[in-house]
Amino acid sequence: MLELFQYGARHRVRGSVAMAVGVALLAGIVLWIYPSMQASVNLDQLMAAYPEPVLKAFGVETLSTLAGFLSVELYSFAWVILFGLYTAYAAASMVADAVEDGRMDLWLSLPIRRRRLLTEQYLTLLVPILVVNAVTPVVIYAGAALVNEPISTRNLVMVHVLSVPYLLATAAIGLVFGVVFTRSALAERLALALVFALFLIQSLLTGTDYAWAGLVSPTHYYDVTAILVHGEYDYTAAVILLVTAAVLVAVAAAIFSRRDVG
Amino acid sequence: MAAISVSSLTKDYGDLRANDSLSFEVESGEVFGYLGPNGAGKTTTIRTLLGLIRPTDGTAEVLGADVRDEAALVEAKRRIGYLPANPAFDEGVTGRELLDLHGAVKGADRLEPLLDRFAPPLTRPIRQLSTGEVQKLGLVQAFMHDPDLVIMDEPTSGLDPLMQRSFNEFIAAEQERGTTVFMSSHVLGEVRRVCDRVAVLRAGRLVTIEAVENLLRRSGKTVRLRAAEPIDPAALEFDGVHDAEVHAVDHDGEADEGGFVFGGEARIVSEATLTYTGDINRLLDVVAAYDLVDLEVEEAPLEDVFMRFYGGRHDA
Repeated sequence: MLELFQYGARHRVRGSVAMAVGVALLAGIVLWIYPSMQASVNLDQLMAAYPEPVLKAFGVETLSTLAGFLSVELYSFAWVILFGLYTAYAAASMVADAVEDGRMDLWLSLPIRRRRLLTEQYLTLLVPILVVNAVTPVVIYAGAALVNEPISTRNLVMVHVLSVPYLLATAAIGLVFGVVFTRSALAERLALALVFALFLIQSLLTGTDYAWAGLVSPTHYYDVTAILVHGEYDYTAAVILLVTAAVLVAVAAAIFSRRDVG
Repeated sequence: MAAISVSSLTKDYGDLRANDSLSFEVESGEVFGYLGPNGAGKTTTIRTLLGLIRPTDGTAEVLGADVRDEAALVEAKRRIGYLPANPAFDEGVTGRELLDLHGAVKGADRLEPLLDRFAPPLTRPIRQLSTGEVQKLGLVQAFMHDPDLVIMDEPTSGLDPLMQRSFNEFIAAEQERGTTVFMSSHVLGEVRRVCDRVAVLRAGRLVTIEAVENLLRRSGKTVRLRAAEPIDPAALEFDGVHDAEVHAVDHDGEADEGGFVFGGEARIVSEATLTYTGDINRLLDVVAAYDLVDLEVEEAPLEDVFMRFYGGRHDA
């Protein structure tokens, strides 16, 4: 068991470390600009200058604390959008690319059931998810101490812990596209488009009569501002995300087990 | 028990019937060639046997497992090796890592002797390997778990002539060990040396299944005679003669091109080529009437036999 997971996971390590370095640099820049921004600009006044929908879309509540600043400048964008899109894309291409370039033929020649192959491959995405989520809080913690701005360690850890179910859910969405569409470019683009559309639906409909539509979006269940600024951890939401991910992986496995490869 | 049993196997892609009600069996211990031009449906059958695609109708069994039953097929795959037409491996891994994965999942009982035999590159990433080197890795992974049945799609494509010979010897040795081999090809020369029987596929349908020897016998001889006197085309019209062609040899033209003409060549005034499937004595009686400079009788290339199946068109 798990041979394919180990094999796949090993080959995600290098890319994951590179990604963690990139994200750490981004976090470093945000931390670096924060003290001077805060000293020379009234950030809450700046915030008030943004149109209301934008503030809602990014869950902006305050920019005058490091937690508020980070949740807007780093987490809402890099985690909720970019990292979410990345996992969806990576999951979609994982299957679709392997089918398209013929690698899947040899994987399937192994005495392994398709659902196991798919699940183990999907789980390899835990490598980038965990590596990046392990490195970034350390960088932020050290950086915050360096610029002498207080930040709740607990909230910082939780914003990363609770991002894992969110990212597993966006990856599972990508996985379904990867098994449904035979052209990998199409699978990847549609997965990206859907995850981004779900983000937009949820963020733009918040506070309107159609806010219920946002319930279908994974972003609804991972609120970085609530965690970082208010210290509110929604475990139910995390469970909903995990269950959704599990269901989507099962659906993807069922589809993949029945379809022709090549 | 048959190693492979295909019954009424049909794969319909809507606009294309890639396999049309195919039925045949491959006996245990047999080396079986699956022939046909590109696009005949060979790969479709192979992919069905591996469970990569599902039959539209009919089915097939490999080592007793129905290809439509994933659980049974997965169990059978422990004893099956597979070499796709253009094996694709993860580009970033080394040969060693790749074989480690295959070994961990399906076993590596025979890895060492195979590494000695094929010497695939193990330490370089696969993206740096040539087609031939990738093919070697493909061969090693197909046989490393000591399978009872090996299915190969165009296995000698990408191998240099030396490797091809080595491959032929290897297949013969595998057969000695009792391994059943099912291999497709559109190059007939490689099949006749290693296969016991062949099936010929054309446009998704089975044209014939027979022993290679029978195919060769039926295919007859290619005869080429060159005479120092004109050959009468009518004299070559008798039973067993096919595709006879007679033409006069123009030495002026040859001399102009080549600059000179070798010894006996200068005497040749007429040349005839034909395919002959009749009694060889009858042919000799006929040709003995001429003052011959040269006579060649050789086995017809299987390509010619192919042409007959396809009514003279390779792309039929």
